[in-house]
Amino acid sequence: MKEGFRQAMAWLHTWTGLIFGWLLFAIFLTGTLAYFKGETSHWMQPEIPARPLNAEASLTLAQTYLQQHAAGASRWLIDLPDARDPGLGVRWQPAPARPGERGQFISKTLDAQTGAEVQARESMGGEFFYRFHFQLQMPYPWGRWLSTIAAMVMFVALITGIITHKKIFKDFFTFRPRKGQRSWLDGHNAVGVLVLPFHLMITYSSLVIFMSMVMPASILASYGNNVRAFYDEVFPAANVPEPAGQPATLAPLAPLLRSASEQWSGGHVGRISVNNPGDANASVVMSRAGSDRVVNDAGSAVTFNGVSGQIIGTPSQQPMAMAVAGSFYGLHMGHFAGPVLRWLYFICGLAGTAMIGTGLVIWLGKRQLKHAKTGVMPFELRLVEVLNIASMAGLVAAVAVFFWANRLLPVSLVGRDDWEVNAFFITWGLSVVHALFRPGRRAWVEQLSLGAALFVAVPLLNGLTSPYHLGVTVPEGDWVLAGFDLTCLGSGLFLAWAARKMQRAGHTVSVKKTAREKARPITLEQGAN
Amino acid sequence: MLLALLLCYSAFTALCLAMPRHHEELLGHKPSARRRQGLKLAGWLLLGLSLWAAVFMKGWSFGLVDWCAVLMLSALTLVLLLPYRPRLALTMAGLSLLASPVAAWALN
Repeated sequence: MKEGFRQAMAWLHTWTGLIFGWLLFAIFLTGTLAYFKGETSHWMQPEIPARPLNAEASLTLAQTYLQQHAAGASRWLIDLPDARDPGLGVRWQPAPARPGERGQFISKTLDAQTGAEVQARESMGGEFFYRFHFQLQMPYPWGRWLSTIAAMVMFVALITGIITHKKIFKDFFTFRPRKGQRSWLDGHNAVGVLVLPFHLMITYSSLVIFMSMVMPASILASYGNNVRAFYDEVFPAANVPEPAGQPATLAPLAPLLRSASEQWSGGHVGRISVNNPGDANASVVMSRAGSDRVVNDAGSAVTFNGVSGQIIGTPSQQPMAMAVAGSFYGLHMGHFAGPVLRWLYFICGLAGTAMIGTGLVIWLGKRQLKHAKTGVMPFELRLVEVLNIASMAGLVAAVAVFFWANRLLPVSLVGRDDWEVNAFFITWGLSVVHALFRPGRRAWVEQLSLGAALFVAVPLLNGLTSPYHLGVTVPEGDWVLAGFDLTCLGSGLFLAWAARKMQRAGHTVSVKKTAREKARPITLEQGAN
Repeated sequence: MLLALLLCYSAFTALCLAMPRHHEELLGHKPSARRRQGLKLAGWLLLGLSLWAAVFMKGWSFGLVDWCAVLMLSALTLVLLLPYRPRLALTMAGLSLLASPVAAWALN
């Protein structure tokens, strides 16, 4: 390979990585946290009790509740509880005032065992991280576009990174710590190369997920302006039939669970939607739980006549192209992952986050060396430094504040869930201001220490403000809640270690009175949930 | 998944030892050509075996995902362990190799 080509690729890698690095760091970190979306939501709404799973009993309770409270609705949606998220979710859409309109969904959470409405505190829970990682808290569709562009850049950075890295196999097992800039590069290469299958999969699949938004040409060519028709054909289960206007009793839903399961040779039902309940034209759509298969298949629903309970639509054979797209979707989301594999997903996500973080640190470290003698940093380097600190250490502290806000904000506060999110962004914003006014290394140490203190104290705060603390959850064997507390504790200890390492590195430099400030371990923060 | 993990980890350790530089760092001397060949072959065989173990347990779709996950995890563990606790890294490889028949028997 010509050296000129490799240099060009290195240039591309350096600059695309820098410009999108901060955004990608945030996307990767929140996306990684989103692998524990259900668990995070459970911790943030602990009032919803975890019960032994019994799909049929829960479904009967949901049907009874909806028949009492939402008899005239045009549509019901029932989300069955699972091991990760214990709430029995019911939503309904009131019949529209005028035909063609779609009403706003009303959403309630029920106790999966008693069917009583649970008044959980208002909170977005893990859904916030999940939404943020592809919508970036921007109005539709701008956030999706920006995150998709970031994914494209990430893909470019991965490919150029592979080309730039000359000795992938020779240095496969190489990591040399305590060697300053060298160690950072080793670390960047190690997490990049060793976890490369995950990086490629996650980046490419994110482009596949939004393919109809990014490259709609084939859809537009076949369907013209009637894009709706395309989706109606792809997702036939989403079509809502017109109500007949004649009342009829809805069949009991629980027995239909078993028929649906037989259609999938033993698969599980995740969501049930009932169209026109109480009408002669009622239909029941049972969608398969994502935890059943790696390949996501939106068309694998079983449709029943809502009055007679007969099967009127069975899952169709998934076409090859859709199976490929579905497998990328499924791999990205990881709904199928059990606890062990989920943790591995989480670790891989952290490795990706670490790869981006080390890259940003290397960019700055290399350039700082040139200005070390004078001790004055040019504006652009200082800007990168401030953004590095705020986008990494600041973000991690903001995640911790988000959890704190969940426990500290009064339950009766209006717009409580919004205030949790506001707390996150206020903290993140303040971290930029803080980084601006403090010298680089001090700012790193202080923000990492703040994050460490906040995370370590999460189990304590939880114990003081809720009856769901470790003293209760561990003896009860509620490993979702206990695991959350313990993971926070672990992340806090890790951040404390990072802060200490950072401070010591700074200390030795000042003691030796060498102006040359090597980028000694600024150790990456990989905040976990 | 455990069996695949044990096999993967020992496979990567063997492949690592097959490289003269790492062999010298870990064991104090350069390997002979025969030894290198042997280690390389053992490493690849173990990798293949771990793939078989993962797919055998859970079928192709789940098995392949599991295998990729343990592949990345075991390589990452080995590389992060090597500079700090080289003896432990080697001991763990030996132990995983010894434990893998037990794991295979227990999981069946």
